[in-house]
Amino acid sequence: MSKKEIEITNKLGLHARAAAKLSHLANTFNSDVFLIYNEDKVNAKSLLGILTLAASIGNNITIVAKGKDEKKAVEKIIELFENKFNEEN
Amino acid sequence: MIKSLVITHGKLGNELIKVSEKILEKKIDIDCMCFDWEEDGSVIINKLEAYLNKNKKNQIIIFTDMFGGSPSNICLKHINSSTEVITGINLPGMLKYLTYKEKNLNFKELVKIIKQGTIDGINVLGEYLGEKKK
Repeated sequence: MSKKEIEITNKLGLHARAAAKLSHLANTFNSDVFLIYNEDKVNAKSLLGILTLAASIGNNITIVAKGKDEKKAVEKIIELFENKFNEEN
Repeated sequence: MIKSLVITHGKLGNELIKVSEKILEKKIDIDCMCFDWEEDGSVIINKLEAYLNKNKKNQIIIFTDMFGGSPSNICLKHINSSTEVITGINLPGMLKYLTYKEKNLNFKELVKIIKQGTIDGINVLGEYLGEKKK
């Protein structure tokens, strides 16, 4: 299992377009990928699941992946968070 | 093959599709018919019949904006084992459809999932946050 925590730094948080990008990316991995925020755990491959976290800027999200490509999955998703979902300059 | 059609009052359907495309960042394959109040009602009825005739070999999910409204009512007589109508469509329901339609689910199962996705998208935020704090 691969796991890492990251703070949301994009202004709009995990909003619809960001969630779509994240779920799209998560779906490219074989591993099961989850996001944990407070006590909620959602499937990172589900756009609407991600939205139910209602997570915004400043919140910490833990990314958990389990499977053959778990390390790469966490790494790439962290990258997406760090790049602020490519929506800010 | 499963096809889908949105029928709404005014341009609501077009906007729903445009916003879904913006969120998913891709062109989506959904047909749309807008109910124009200025137009004779038979125009859209004929358009719907032509659409269904053209897609006889497909299974069709029709999304309408409101149960009991004209867009829904004109569909009533067309419901059968391969044509179903989901009323009260919203953005979560639309996104549920778009993210599940590639999963090769059977028609009834897909309809059930979209209905649930549409309902789950409705929340009172204060209540939702309150439940989380419990």
